[in-house]
Amino acid sequence: MDSTGGSAAVSLETVTKTYMVGEPVHALDGVDLEIPRGSYVAVMGPSGSGKSTLMNVIGCLDTPTKGTVYLDGEEVTTMSDRERTRIRGEEVGFVFQTFNLMPRLTAVENVALPLVFRGIPVGERRERATELLERVGLGDRLDHVPNELSGGQRQRVAIARALVNDPALILADEPTGNLDTETGENIMSLFEELHAEGNTVVMVTHERPVAEHAERVVHLLDGRIERIEELDAVGAEVES
Amino acid sequence: MKPLTNLRMSWRAIRSHKLRSTLTTLGVVIGVAAVITFVTLGASLQAGIIGDISPDDRQNIYGWAAPEESSNQGPLAGAQPVFTQADVDGLSEQPGVRAAYGYTSIPTQSVGFGGERIPRQDAVVATGVEYVDEDEIADGRRFEYGQREAVLNPAMANAFERNVTVGDTITVTVVGGFAVNATVVGITTDSEARSPFEGFGPGPRVYLPLDPYYTQLVAEAQETPRFPAIVVEAESIEGVDRAKESTRSYLETDSDAQEQAEAANLTYELQTSTELLGQLQAVLDQLQAFVVGIAALSLLVGSIGIANIMLVSVTERTREIGIMKAVGAQRRDILTLFVTEAVIVGIIGSILGTLLGILGGWAGAQYIDIPLTYPVEWFAIAIAVGILVGVGAGLYPAWRGARTDPIDALRYE
Ligand SMILES: Nc1ncnc2c1ncn2[C@@H]1O[C@H](COP(=O)(O)OP(=O)(O)OP(=O)(O)O)[C@@H](O)[C@H]1O
Ligand SMILES: [Mg+2]
Repeated sequence: MDSTGGSAAVSLETVTKTYMVGEPVHALDGVDLEIPRGSYVAVMGPSGSGKSTLMNVIGCLDTPTKGTVYLDGEEVTTMSDRERTRIRGEEVGFVFQTFNLMPRLTAVENVALPLVFRGIPVGERRERATELLERVGLGDRLDHVPNELSGGQRQRVAIARALVNDPALILADEPTGNLDTETGENIMSLFEELHAEGNTVVMVTHERPVAEHAERVVHLLDGRIERIEELDAVGAEVES
Repeated sequence: MKPLTNLRMSWRAIRSHKLRSTLTTLGVVIGVAAVITFVTLGASLQAGIIGDISPDDRQNIYGWAAPEESSNQGPLAGAQPVFTQADVDGLSEQPGVRAAYGYTSIPTQSVGFGGERIPRQDAVVATGVEYVDEDEIADGRRFEYGQREAVLNPAMANAFERNVTVGDTITVTVVGGFAVNATVVGITTDSEARSPFEGFGPGPRVYLPLDPYYTQLVAEAQETPRFPAIVVEAESIEGVDRAKESTRSYLETDSDAQEQAEAANLTYELQTSTELLGQLQAVLDQLQAFVVGIAALSLLVGSIGIANIMLVSVTERTREIGIMKAVGAQRRDILTLFVTEAVIVGIIGSILGTLLGILGGWAGAQYIDIPLTYPVEWFAIAIAVGILVGVGAGLYPAWRGARTDPIDALRYE
């Protein structure tokens, strides 16, 4: 096993993602990043700077054009589709920028979906999903389909789904982007709880107050890491 | 993924597109129903014909003389009137022969009874006494040769407003307008054809003795009346081939027919009912293969329908596939989901199709009036094919869906 990836939850080595649209677009351009286990990282940057691409690459949804990705010290870039799918389902909880809920499934069924592909029986699935929906404050919306939910409620369903497999690594792409301040605060305290329980949390945001909940802020610009900011417990900048 | 969950999810996808699923299923239903209907009709038709040949029919030899080019075209094809009464008398003396008699149909304008006239062109047959077996008479007796008597089958007897019974007198008007009377002396048990000369289907018939009716009505002008066909009854089923040989040699050496046959370059067609049936069956088999082929084609069209709809469905659900893959669905899971969907459509379609086909076969048999025979093994085949069609048609679209890259799928609008 590679020494650089040894204990970190996530470790990227010169990761590049290039799209060929006429001339090459570097969504990620030689990114080196190490995210220690149990840490809380915010990713910031202007639109199009590669934040979502970075999350997708970490979450085994996308493969980098060049470079290596390690999750928990294991190289995922050379894994088979099958193995990467397993990691997506069982070890990573992904909250998408665009929710990505199944339109015809109810809130409970959406949250329980990752359990379906692990062969968990229906009773257990429903129980676990209900528990999580209650935790995000949607105990009274269990059997609503996404169309019958507000944007913020859908976001919370998506968060509950990301948590259903008890993942050690939680990746959230603008989880508060669609929420009012109060609900946003609730969600933020939920992430803080998850962090406190020892999970690794990586969160994309463009709101400074949200980012200040994290321990570190990674600033992206044009697919490169511009700088990494360490914050102390109260959210003030320690060094740059 | 658990099989039950898989089933539930696939069923839900089907139900959420009711109209589309119904139309897709309809493709399979029609295909399977068509196959079942046609094989049922085919089987019923064949069973009807085979059932018509009674055991004592199998020892009969049917003979006629025809130009060579007419051979193998079925009973009486190209038959010329060459046989005399002396020929049939001589034939009945041959070893292994129980009886021999002439046969001809009498072209008729109408059959009349009690002031009622029924136009009938093919109903009147002139033949020998033995043509109708004794045990085929339900009421009365067989006619006597040389007498103005007639035997009717029930279809004919019941064709008139007042049913004809034994003792009544009917009037036969031949083509040309000449009318003769006949006293009905017997009614047969059923209306089935009594020989391949009559064709294989049931129908109304009047059976008359050749003498006097043929000699008076048709061959009046001839010095020696000649019949176009003969029936030779062998003594046993085993002896039928031997009787056929002796019939041929008698006809070729000692008969009155030979002179005319030579002059007109005719050959004798001598066939047992089994042989005639074989020919007919070959034709029926071809017809059946052809019709079932067409039905199978509609099944193929149905399967293309499933494939097409499934492809649309996979494309339409690209984003859903992406979501499922993003949260841990393996390729196999997606594949199973879509194949299951296609198989459900196939199963439902073939079950409904089979029911519809059974109904169609029944209606068809009712319509053309043949006894119904269900080829049960074909039902199993049709259902299996319906399911296979589902799997076959669903496989490619399902595979396409399974291969979808999650990140592309999630970006799909
Ligand atoms: N499939 C693609 N084909 C071509 N270019 C792409 C593709 N996906 C992303 N890009 C490009 O890569 C760059 C980074 O995209 P990304 O979605 O990571 O941005 P982002 O930082 O998440 O932006 P936002 O804040 O708006 O969500 C963008 O310039 C985008 O145009
Ligand atoms: Mg983004």
